[in-house]
Amino acid sequence: MNYALLVQGAPYSQQAAHSALRFAHALIARGHTLGTIFFYHDGVYNASRLATPPQDEPHLVEAWRRLHEDHGTSLLVCIAAALRRGIIDEREARRHGKAGYAVESPFELTGLGQLLDVHSNHDRLVTFSP
Amino acid sequence: MLLHILNRSPASSRVPLDTLRAMGDNDWLLLIEDGVYGAVGPLADEFTSIQGRVFALKEDLVSRGLENRHDATIELVDMDGFVALTEQATQTVSWY
Amino acid sequence: MSDTTDNSMLVVLRHAPHGSSWLREGLDVALVGAALGKKVHLLFLGDGVLALATGQQHGPLGQKGTHPTLDMLEMYDIDMILVDGKALTQRGLTADDLQLPVSLIDDATLPEIFARHSSIYNF
Repeated sequence: MNYALLVQGAPYSQQAAHSALRFAHALIARGHTLGTIFFYHDGVYNASRLATPPQDEPHLVEAWRRLHEDHGTSLLVCIAAALRRGIIDEREARRHGKAGYAVESPFELTGLGQLLDVHSNHDRLVTFSP
Repeated sequence: MLLHILNRSPASSRVPLDTLRAMGDNDWLLLIEDGVYGAVGPLADEFTSIQGRVFALKEDLVSRGLENRHDATIELVDMDGFVALTEQATQTVSWY
Repeated sequence: MSDTTDNSMLVVLRHAPHGSSWLREGLDVALVGAALGKKVHLLFLGDGVLALATGQQHGPLGQKGTHPTLDMLEMYDIDMILVDGKALTQRGLTADDLQLPVSLIDDATLPEIFARHSSIYNF
């Protein structure tokens, strides 16, 4: 089956993102496809390339990136939820005159409508919330 | 059949009550994260009305030191079992 | 509820206004769905019923609140507004205290509502 995950919790604040990552690895191990992860609400913090956890803690941003590299999983971030939380990419930074940016490929800022498309073109959508 | 996924303890939240109200007679409930506190008696009594359809995520019990203290009526699943439950359900609904 | 079809989406709103962004971000999903031409049904459950209470205002810092959005639902053709009757009673409210006309749902009907929608968003 083709799975999608909706992640709504910030990493290191609540368990939601960690649970989602565990579930992601488990579904792939069972032979399923993880087509898309959509980050919404505080889940958008999972897309920050600036996250710098201590070395003895799991690095969630890296783990999401690796899912994309190893399994082709799309990493979609709701742009409206992200911008107001300071999670912007280079293009938005330029547009709003900001010096830095937090989001880079393979994470993509996208409209909320994508979540509905994801729900309809994947077999399962499983939500992980704080 | 819907799989309801709950991450709140009945001791700290009213969300489990709404979850139970929304569940159909054939729906299943999976307790994860802080939801697994509800797998340990006497809190597990909250789920007697759906006995036989309640699961708890083993790794979340283990990390909380509760692996051997869960109620016998609640079935433990590992992450692989969690995925299997989502395969069997037509849809999942997460409660938080 | 005879027009309830399998492919309509159900957005469940379980959070009160102002205290968190769950209500607003859940409503955003409903509005986007409607804008994309999907049939959207709203279910206000638990604390979510407080979203409909009359007399809400902007926050002291100019936080918008969600009550103006609810007034726009009709414009988006979102006309199936289901409300948890028990939650309303628990909070000392009746349908007369709400800013919109709604359909009250009893406990026996709740599971049916979840069962008959093929895409559920629970906020």
